[in-house]
Amino acid sequence: MAWGLCCVHLPEYVHSITFRWAVGVAGAFGVCTLLLFGFVYWQTAEFVTAAVDTIITADARVNGASTTSDMSRFIRQYLEDDPRRVKLAELFTATGTPSAGNVAEMPPGLPIDDMPHSARLARLDSRGRETQTARVIARRLSSGEIFLVGHDTSLLRQVGQVVTRALALGLLPAVCLALLTGTWLSKRAQRRIDEMNRRVQRVIAGEFKERLPVGGYDDPLNRLAKIVNDMLDRIERLIGELSSVGDDIAHDLRTPLTRVRAILERGRNNAQTLDELSEETDRAIAGLDQSLAIITALLRIAEIDHTRRSAAMTTLRLEEILRAVHELYHPIAEDKGIALRFDLHDVAAVSGDRDLLLEAVANLVDNAIKNTDRRGD
Amino acid sequence: MAKVLVIEDDEGTAEEIVTALGDRGYMLDRAADGADGLQRARAGEWDVLVVDRMLPELDGLSVIETLRSEGISTPVLVLSALNAVNDRVRGLRAGGDDYLAKPFALSELTARLEALLRRPAEPRATVLRVGSLELDLLSRKACRGRRELELLPREFQLLEYMMRREGQVLTRAMLLENVWNYRFVPQTNLVDVHIGRLRRKVDSPDEPPMILSVRGLGFMLRAPA
Repeated sequence: MAWGLCCVHLPEYVHSITFRWAVGVAGAFGVCTLLLFGFVYWQTAEFVTAAVDTIITADARVNGASTTSDMSRFIRQYLEDDPRRVKLAELFTATGTPSAGNVAEMPPGLPIDDMPHSARLARLDSRGRETQTARVIARRLSSGEIFLVGHDTSLLRQVGQVVTRALALGLLPAVCLALLTGTWLSKRAQRRIDEMNRRVQRVIAGEFKERLPVGGYDDPLNRLAKIVNDMLDRIERLIGELSSVGDDIAHDLRTPLTRVRAILERGRNNAQTLDELSEETDRAIAGLDQSLAIITALLRIAEIDHTRRSAAMTTLRLEEILRAVHELYHPIAEDKGIALRFDLHDVAAVSGDRDLLLEAVANLVDNAIKNTDRRGD
Repeated sequence: MAKVLVIEDDEGTAEEIVTALGDRGYMLDRAADGADGLQRARAGEWDVLVVDRMLPELDGLSVIETLRSEGISTPVLVLSALNAVNDRVRGLRAGGDDYLAKPFALSELTARLEALLRRPAEPRATVLRVGSLELDLLSRKACRGRRELELLPREFQLLEYMMRREGQVLTRAMLLENVWNYRFVPQTNLVDVHIGRLRRKVDSPDEPPMILSVRGLGFMLRAPA
């Protein structure tokens, strides 16, 4: 017979963590149920055995001191009152031959020690011979005979059967249900992940408007999808702002760059001397510096808008910033005959970026001085 | 003459820097990537290094950090297209001595290089003297000859900075950064106004001027000839 390797392709959901959890939970549930039912059976068996032992021990004590003929009579009376055929009793001769009772032979290996033991023995009565499992006590009488008294324990077997049946009826459907639920949940999760993957691939391909599907429940996948969607919103906004900054720069640069180009062109065509050319070149450099200042300013605005510099945020006193700006601009204002006063009361500390705030206030004052007439206020 | 190593990967920028510094008499060498730059910086005895921040193979900050960890303390001017304060701080923390954002004027680069090459000889001196100009840092008094100058606190700082760099061209950006600790370039001629006020106090009409304007570059303080 030839053995070949067989490659079984398992469905993808079988490898999912949800399915593995389901299998794990089903397994743990099965083990717990087995332990529980085993405990119930063990306790029941203990209880039944103890009860039977009490009965046969009492029977063995009552009849312990009787003579042979009395023993035979008692055994007959004892066995007559047994409609369920659970009682066992026998009087064996010293050589082990049964003389009165319903046990066909002495169970091999049974200790004759007046203590209860489990044994399988042959019941022989008017209905014939039958093997029974029982708890029995064997004791040797003073005459040398052996008195055996016992009680059938087939109840234990029945209890075992009931427990096994209950186990089969309860455990198997529960495990199957757990596995089916696990499979369903895994397939459902797999479908959602496949859908998420498809959409993420579209985002990777550049479709920044794509979003992950979010269901109505507050489960981990939905929470993750919401987080990713928030992130995509932010990325889309940033890309838009970046594009806007680029557009702003392009727009604001056209004018000064056109001017620079015109200056250079005029210099090349019209300059008669080196000094004239140098003059035009200086003007072109000034124009380029202005263009660079525009780029820097627009990037700074974008930087402030994006609050990229939150790391530089500290608690600072506005008074110090305003005082510094006043000190910086006071001479300029004075030169222009403009009064620049510093008047401040009870300004609270704020959380901010010193450099950005300083620049913002400085720009305000700068513009104010530039656009105020001489001797203004 | 000072020896300068330029570590810059962009051919055009490197050529302009090398040409401009060569015209001013510097002895120059150039490396086009970080690994080569590190090797040359270790091998030669340089007076100053000009290191671009973004370099192939080994970035500029790693080059500087490696040099500093090996105990090489050659002054470094970091060039970078990144101009946010955090970028600047990172560049200086890595061991850079000055930071110049691109695009820059070659005159600004030269001025900063000279400032690095001619660092204040006695940073702990308590009395600074340039010609007849004297600045007592402990008593906070300034005199030109016998004439006492009445300076505002910021003017005092400005004069101290200039006196410590006697004969060096100081650009407006350098003054704003180092005297006012500002990282932005204002639209108005702020520095010129402050320098003008200081000049009126230092140079009286009957004295030869000590604070000079250098056209297209900035300012310089030097003793009259």
